[in-house]
Amino acid sequence: MRISAKNITPGMKLERPVLNKNGLMMLGADTELTGALVKKIQKMDIQVVYVQGISKALPPLDEVLAGLEGRFRSVETAPHMDVLKKLLREHIEGLYKANESKNPEK
Amino acid sequence: MNLKTLKNRLESIQTLATIPAVAKHVLKLLGDPTVSLVEISRFISQDPVLTSRVLKMVNSPIYGFPGRISSVNQAVLLLGLNVIRGLLFGITVFDLMQQTMIGLWEHSMGCAILSRLIAVKKGLKDPEEVSIHGLLHDIGKVILVLKFPDEYEKVMAEAQEKGIRVYEVEAGYFSTTHATVGAWVAEQWSFPKPLIDVIQYHHKPHLSKVVPMETAIVHFADVLLRGRGFGFAGDSTVPPLHPSSWELVGLSESDIKSILREAEDLLEEAADLSL
Repeated sequence: MRISAKNITPGMKLERPVLNKNGLMMLGADTELTGALVKKIQKMDIQVVYVQGISKALPPLDEVLAGLEGRFRSVETAPHMDVLKKLLREHIEGLYKANESKNPEK
Repeated sequence: MNLKTLKNRLESIQTLATIPAVAKHVLKLLGDPTVSLVEISRFISQDPVLTSRVLKMVNSPIYGFPGRISSVNQAVLLLGLNVIRGLLFGITVFDLMQQTMIGLWEHSMGCAILSRLIAVKKGLKDPEEVSIHGLLHDIGKVILVLKFPDEYEKVMAEAQEKGIRVYEVEAGYFSTTHATVGAWVAEQWSFPKPLIDVIQYHHKPHLSKVVPMETAIVHFADVLLRGRGFGFAGDSTVPPLHPSSWELVGLSESDIKSILREAEDLLEEAADLSL
């Protein structure tokens, strides 16, 4: 997963190598980040780091789906909007499923 | 407010007291239709803050460049005049906005990302330009909020109360919409014709004559993004998708799902981007 370098925390594992400005590899894939490495990466003027699947703190699914319904309420009868709403619902449910499978103990 | 009053008051937009000196320079430089890439490049490089913002933007998810772009010259060469000009406008004008309408920057970035992903899916030649169209489509809102903050506050309240979109309420206050206002200032600032067309018609994509496909893409991206609930553009309901855009863009259900999947991480990253 692609995340902003300022959001990395110790314990995360790299999905792809971290490269410096000139394209030299500084840390290899599968490296587990320590506090010191986090500080180092954040000092390196890197915007994005790829880390292995982590589960995110997502807002409750029913709240998110209720929000979706609310946003579409006034356009329900407009052409194609039912399809778009259905696709967005499936997309959002898919995100929650993927997140769950990364965090099975919950 | 009638159209004439509105136009007169907007004519002085460049002399707005709230626009910082650097922004004034950028607007003046970009308003010159004969400005060259070398001049723009030199101008950006002279200002370290602007340089860092331009580099952050070109390395951000609104473009899909795989490598890291580390110099202004490289960015300018790679993106070309139109895209760099659009980018500078975006940085300059939306900077003024961050506190005025919270969420509009995210909306604009999100629209840039989705517009680019759709353009790539459609195999368009310059997805980066479509990205700039998405970034700047709501520039009229920026202008209206900057110039008429109290009136716009009322527009948003009325839209909220009635459960409709701000563009349906705007005409009652300004005799026109943010789309037309955006197109006026875009003309004053010598934006390229395709960009002016997208700004003018992003709510009425079937009327676009110059770039109907790009306009339909930005319109589609706008609807999809609000459907996803990312950012804030003055109202909280999704606008209807114009059926002509559905036909013209012609995405299948699985295309749309793959675009949404690809956009997800990019949107999250864009939300974290501070210039």
